[in-house]
Amino acid sequence: MLHAKIINSSIEKIEISRAEEFLRSEKFGAVIYFIGVVRDNNENKKVNGITYDAKETMVIKSFEEIYNETEQKLGIKNKSVFIEHVKGHLKLSEKSILIGVACKHRDEAYRLSRFIIEEIKKRSPIWKKEHYEDKDSEWLKGISLTT
Amino acid sequence: MKISVELFGAAREFSKTKYLEFNFSKSCKIIDIKKKLYEYVDNKFNGNLNYKEIIKSSVFCSDKDQLIKENQILNKNQIIGIIPPIGGG
Repeated sequence: MLHAKIINSSIEKIEISRAEEFLRSEKFGAVIYFIGVVRDNNENKKVNGITYDAKETMVIKSFEEIYNETEQKLGIKNKSVFIEHVKGHLKLSEKSILIGVACKHRDEAYRLSRFIIEEIKKRSPIWKKEHYEDKDSEWLKGISLTT
Repeated sequence: MKISVELFGAAREFSKTKYLEFNFSKSCKIIDIKKKLYEYVDNKFNGNLNYKEIIKSSVFCSDKDQLIKENQILNKNQIIGIIPPIGGG
């Protein structure tokens, strides 16, 4: 089972309780949450916020593809995965991404969680614009996709 | 033929609008669209090298969210998206 959604930060926030509700099952003995939050520095610059941009339909499609690949690549058949990523502006310490996974055992859950975040970093069309204390701002350099 | 390029990420700095529109007399490929974008940056931003680097390192996607191959021929009016280097999370 997969829940995949882009959260518009001007309307709502990422809530762990939604993931808990979605992942709750007697079938699974291990649940892991990975949460990305906005930190106050990057490359010696003082950060006071980040604006996230996303090509939403393509991001959701990438989440679905990543989820569908996990059975073949990791051999994890029974699982629930909850992924939400923010679009819009966030202040320090606010959540940008939540990946919740539920599996039978902890080894599967750790591997699944790590696989999903690493693949999102490589494949999902999401961008960050950092805002600095000196009022400057900058789109972060990322990874080029290939056709 | 009109190609509308929807702007994302760093490419949003190219315009206050969501799209840039380019006309082609006949079919075109990604390389032709990149040329138009380079010309646009030359004219509008005095050849800003950072913006040109964004164009160079970007790929493009169709309105069906498929990445467009460099040699694919576009022969009808359509909206495509420019996908600069990514980095979410």
